[in-house]
Amino acid sequence: MTAAVPPSDGEPLIRLSGRSAVVLAAVSLIGLVAYSWPFFVDPGAALDTSHSGDAPWFFVVLLPLLAAVVVAELSSGGMDAKAVAMLGMLAAVGAALRALGPGAAGLEPSFIVILLGGRVFGRGFGFVLGALTIFAGGIVTGGVGPWLPFQMFAAGWVGLFAGMLPRWRGRAEVAALAAYGVVAGLAYGALLNLWFWPFAAYSPEVTYVAGDAFGANLHRYLVFWATTSLGWDVPRGVLTATTLVLVGRPVLGALRRTARRANFT
Amino acid sequence: MRPVDSPTYARSLHPGAWWLWALGLAAAASRTVNPVLLALLVAVAGYVVMARRSRAPWAYAYGAFLRLGLVIIAVRIVLQALLSSQSQGIHVIVDLPEIPLPAWAAGLKLGGLVTWEAVLIAFSQGLQLATIICCIGAANALASAGRLLRTVPGALYEVGVAAVVSLTFAPQLVADAARVRAAQRLRGYDGRGVGGLRRTAMPVLEGALGRSVELAAAMDSHGYGRSSPVPGTTRRLTSALVLGGVLGVGIGLYGLLDAGVGGLFGLPILGLGVVLAAAGLVAGGRRTNRTRYRPDPWALPEWLVAGSGVACAAVMFVVAARYPAAAYPAYPLAVPSVPPLALVCMLVGLVPAFAAPPPPDRLPTATSPGSKRKGTHAEEIW
Repeated sequence: MTAAVPPSDGEPLIRLSGRSAVVLAAVSLIGLVAYSWPFFVDPGAALDTSHSGDAPWFFVVLLPLLAAVVVAELSSGGMDAKAVAMLGMLAAVGAALRALGPGAAGLEPSFIVILLGGRVFGRGFGFVLGALTIFAGGIVTGGVGPWLPFQMFAAGWVGLFAGMLPRWRGRAEVAALAAYGVVAGLAYGALLNLWFWPFAAYSPEVTYVAGDAFGANLHRYLVFWATTSLGWDVPRGVLTATTLVLVGRPVLGALRRTARRANFT
Repeated sequence: MRPVDSPTYARSLHPGAWWLWALGLAAAASRTVNPVLLALLVAVAGYVVMARRSRAPWAYAYGAFLRLGLVIIAVRIVLQALLSSQSQGIHVIVDLPEIPLPAWAAGLKLGGLVTWEAVLIAFSQGLQLATIICCIGAANALASAGRLLRTVPGALYEVGVAAVVSLTFAPQLVADAARVRAAQRLRGYDGRGVGGLRRTAMPVLEGALGRSVELAAAMDSHGYGRSSPVPGTTRRLTSALVLGGVLGVGIGLYGLLDAGVGGLFGLPILGLGVVLAAAGLVAGGRRTNRTRYRPDPWALPEWLVAGSGVACAAVMFVVAARYPAAAYPAYPLAVPSVPPLALVCMLVGLVPAFAAPPPPDRLPTATSPGSKRKGTHAEEIW
């Protein structure tokens, strides 16, 4: 490899080739369907849950394969030792943060690592870092379950979009990251409720009704979201943003310094 | 018969076998809401975990999953009691004061009549989800994630290595944080508040980043990441397989979600897409040619354990089809009936407690030479 240029912001650690970008976009679209299918399924379609409750499990089985395909595709452009070591180490930091503060009020301190890693090392790296952080955190805390592929995709998107933020520097960069942190915290919660929402049979006003109109189900979901998880999602977003404002600049500086130091090939 | 075929030869079972067994049990639990059968499944999983878990740190995961299951049941019962607006039975436990909610909540109410029927239905449904969670907890407790990571396909090799790196260093980072905090306390900082967080987090992060550079240099100097040249035809074939697979999955999903097309159209295309994508993973693995050091064998005990899970699921599918009244009790207050065939399913699920070899670190030291070796945590993960 002729990596004479330091892999700092101009030079992503995982290069997104045209093919990888197409696969990533297509798989992300399918992943989005895996969360939001309850809104789009037609009455009488094969995945209509009114006669069988197995449709959610179908996506639980499908998503790991899709995650494997997209991660293999992203790394097929050649991941060198620096990318692997940086990925493993940042995922270790995120996993350790997950192990220290596991879901206390829905707070997700590992978001900061995913966000800043994606910002400095590019969108492809951000996606893989998000997915790997959740995976490693699940294994360290013994929390491998049907929720894991859904969390991996959502966290991957958090890192991916962090890598697509405008290339500002200084205060503007931290402010953009903090604003994005709030949005990401809320969106992560809203997406992740969706995977178990079809299982949740609490009360007719907040429960998924198979084959009902899009608007009616969406309204029920929003009520469900507001009454159950919004109280966790808002603190998660606010805490992510606050921490980013407080430690964003030194951490960004440390990551960029390491990227310069790692220029040894 | 090789020694690895014997169920008494102490070794770690292939983690894939444990996962197949646990997923089979979870599939069986997804076929019934009969609380007796579900409780039996939890007991079966718990017994096998107790009989065959090692002394590794992750072997105690089952208890955490059991607690998570109890939380799921409790949350479901409380929400059902507080939120349910239709009276689902006639046996009233208590009449709570009702709080009207604003109009945007779409008729949601808090409080009101709570019936035994509503609570028991909520209990059975919560127990079903809790049982599935417990089965997965059993796999977490029994299967070593590090060994499972060694079996990833070649296309995921780099990410697999990154996962092993992170699993090896994550426990060290927690120790690092404790060390830095102790040092800060010696300097007179109490480690609290925003400043304390910064003073602890930044040295830990800088240390981790520094280590990653050293690790990358070490890996580079050992020739890591030299991928073999891939002929253009293979590369194009991989592209076609991956893109075709993703396209097939997308079109198949559309067929499954749309009533006009019908499932008969969607399912085969989805299946084709899944096969193509899996073939793409295999073809993509050609760029890394490496050999595996001491691969985990797949011998008779692995077949028995995996077969036990598959058979348990199959028997429960038959039970659900032949005795729907036992699998889905219609009246929650009656004692649910248990067909003898369902008990066969439980006994089949118990097979790994006897067919799986004992883990090497649970034997008395005199009988096993392997147990004398002291393994560090990092070694366990590798």
